[in-house]
Amino acid sequence: MGTQVKDVVIKPDAPSDLLLDKHADYIAAYGSKKDDYEYTLSEYLRVSGIYWGLTVMDLMGQLTRMNQQEISDFIKSCQHDCGGISASIGHDPHLLYTLSAIQILCLYDNVHILDVDKVVEYVKGLQQEDGSFAGDKWGEIDTRFSFCAVATLALLGKLDAINMNKAVEFVLSCMNFDGGFGCRPGSESHAGQIYCCTGFLSLTGQLHQINADLLGWWLCERQLPSGGLNGRPEKLPDVCYSWWVLASLKIIGRIHWIDKAKLRSFILACQDEETGGFADRPGDMVDPFHTLFGVAGLSLLGDEQIKDVNPVLCMPEDVLDRIGLHPDLLS
Amino acid sequence: MAESEEEVDVLVQRVVKDINNAFKRNPNIDEIGLIPCPEARYNRSPIVLVENKLGVESWCVKFLLPYVHNKLLLYRQRKQWLDREALVDITCTLLLLNPDFTTAWNVRKELLQCGALSPQKDLYLGKLALTKFPKSPETWIHRRWVLKQVLRECFPPEPDRKEQVGGDRCNAVERLRLGEHLHRVLHDEIKVCANAAGRYPSNYNAWSHRIWVVQHMAQDNLKVLHDELSSMRQWVSMHVSDHSGFHYRQFLLKCLVGALSLSPSSSPQTDARGLSLDCQRRLPQQVNGEATAAGSCPRSPEEQPLVPAVLFLFQQEMELCTDLIQSFPGHEALWCHRRHVFYLWHHWRRDHDHHNGKGCQSPQLNHTDAGLICHPRVASPGAVRLDRADSRNGPACESQDAMEVDGVPDPRDIKRLKRCLPGPPVLPSEHGFVASILDGCRSPEQGRFALAYRKWLDSVIGQ
Repeated sequence: MGTQVKDVVIKPDAPSDLLLDKHADYIAAYGSKKDDYEYTLSEYLRVSGIYWGLTVMDLMGQLTRMNQQEISDFIKSCQHDCGGISASIGHDPHLLYTLSAIQILCLYDNVHILDVDKVVEYVKGLQQEDGSFAGDKWGEIDTRFSFCAVATLALLGKLDAINMNKAVEFVLSCMNFDGGFGCRPGSESHAGQIYCCTGFLSLTGQLHQINADLLGWWLCERQLPSGGLNGRPEKLPDVCYSWWVLASLKIIGRIHWIDKAKLRSFILACQDEETGGFADRPGDMVDPFHTLFGVAGLSLLGDEQIKDVNPVLCMPEDVLDRIGLHPDLLS
Repeated sequence: MAESEEEVDVLVQRVVKDINNAFKRNPNIDEIGLIPCPEARYNRSPIVLVENKLGVESWCVKFLLPYVHNKLLLYRQRKQWLDREALVDITCTLLLLNPDFTTAWNVRKELLQCGALSPQKDLYLGKLALTKFPKSPETWIHRRWVLKQVLRECFPPEPDRKEQVGGDRCNAVERLRLGEHLHRVLHDEIKVCANAAGRYPSNYNAWSHRIWVVQHMAQDNLKVLHDELSSMRQWVSMHVSDHSGFHYRQFLLKCLVGALSLSPSSSPQTDARGLSLDCQRRLPQQVNGEATAAGSCPRSPEEQPLVPAVLFLFQQEMELCTDLIQSFPGHEALWCHRRHVFYLWHHWRRDHDHHNGKGCQSPQLNHTDAGLICHPRVASPGAVRLDRADSRNGPACESQDAMEVDGVPDPRDIKRLKRCLPGPPVLPSEHGFVASILDGCRSPEQGRFALAYRKWLDSVIGQ
């Protein structure tokens, strides 16, 4: 009896060279179609969208093609009285977009245009008694938000603003028997959540709390015969999960446990030779999200045409050097 | 077709009205969908209601969405006033088209707080949105917020609430009503989760929501846990690739084992079956007269930890897992499930030995070489010899051992267990299982997963 393995087959004519110029053109043009229906549909995550676009442009050495003034003004207008930042004007503030906004302004080295003290107050105010973080004032709890909180504060040099012991305790309570992490205590391990939790533990100097061999095992079991990585057992491979798994492996010092050459071929096959940009899987529609994680993944795999990316914050290393932020990695 | 700004305005207002009229006309709409239709046909509304299904013809969405989107944002920026009814209608249309628009859900939270919207109506909108977008994270997040409001309504956080409980008859009647209400909400919520899980495989948001629901509404309720476990049995058997469904089973198993293993002295608020007497944030079982109907778990009025029931659970689970692995070769989710169940069993047993003063390790558990964990690709699968497993104890001996380590259960249960159960597995029987799968295995994936499982046994359990 044959078993259907959930994977993709990479066609022989799939792209195998990195098409950096095409990708830069794709991102540069993306923001210009503002009346687009698709653009309306994704407005609820606009600030994160800008972070994806700018970061990939910076990694490709093309940041100057983006309009710094317009973007900075926009981010500034998304800060609310409470200090938090929303995805766009008129939307409600949230930790997800607060982190993206701070990342964008770090790329431009102009964090000061925001009221930084208020940002710190906002993040601090979202910490709960058990150490967890709510995403916004409505109280949803998720380890993603723990990551957003400490990443924001680390970029601002204000990690001492929160109860760190409690914050660590909560994240560790979400660790599972397989070494992975879920969104809340008792939830299934998931590569995206694992990335957030390993990143969190790196930024808080607590990586020793991870069972790196056990987690590394689970993470490299995500690699499929096509070379791509999935985010959970029996899911399809995806460029964004390739990043989250790869970055987590890098953080816990186990990146050499996967087949790097095969992963590189998979990521390259997800490029669109005509439009530029990366899709989740070969042949699908491209978007800025997968374009960032495709390029960032190739950087972690050692591609020399791309700037070095930091696995914890998904930002160029030279930007973090400027800030003086060097999150821990296990060796 | 409408093209000028004014015409678009008129058209869209009519469509928003049509949608809301459809809900008034048929309060039982149970699914929404987009009808592929690039251009308007005839002069009729793009809103189609057939039986309980509400469809929107796709041509109108490109007008409809930007209109309701911008309208809500103008309101949010205090540039345009909208009354409550208009807000309810606009957010409804907007969220059915784009359910991850967080701010629109937040507007509904405010409407709910000021009483312009009922929790039921809001849960219903979310349920419909999930029929088209079963993963939508913001829809699930909003549901949790609404459910927290419902819980707060049922159990207001008054400092002297406990004194009132058990007071006059009015209170008892009210508690009965609230308990029934909460039971219905819980039941509906589980149905919403099951529906979304059926529409999208390994739906992380649906399953982690279901876990949240059990944790907040029925954590210590053995009846609910047992019902869930038994309804999931059929579900996972029909969705053998769904890792999230299996994870949920593991979660239930862990809750049940935890509740069944509670010793009476450790929790004065809880009786032997783990029934919560403090009903805050939980579903009070007594309300429904089901306090003793804890599914298949044996009654034990003398407060013995229900060890046989735990053994029975593990044994049944491993049997199900074996059956599925043999019937559906090459499914990673099944092998992951086996790892987790065996891990839970192994640790429960070790902790139990410890509590009973018999030391941390039972003899079967430490005779495996303590292998170091290493990367599954680096070490050769052939490093572990097949014949190792064959020389070990058969299942019959293990059953005896398993019974011995767990104290003195109800004699009737021992009898029953001895009669029909070979007992939960121990390390040697697991190695035997792997060997039996590898023997004549024709699926390369099945072989790969079996070898990885053996390696996991050696390195993680055998350490």
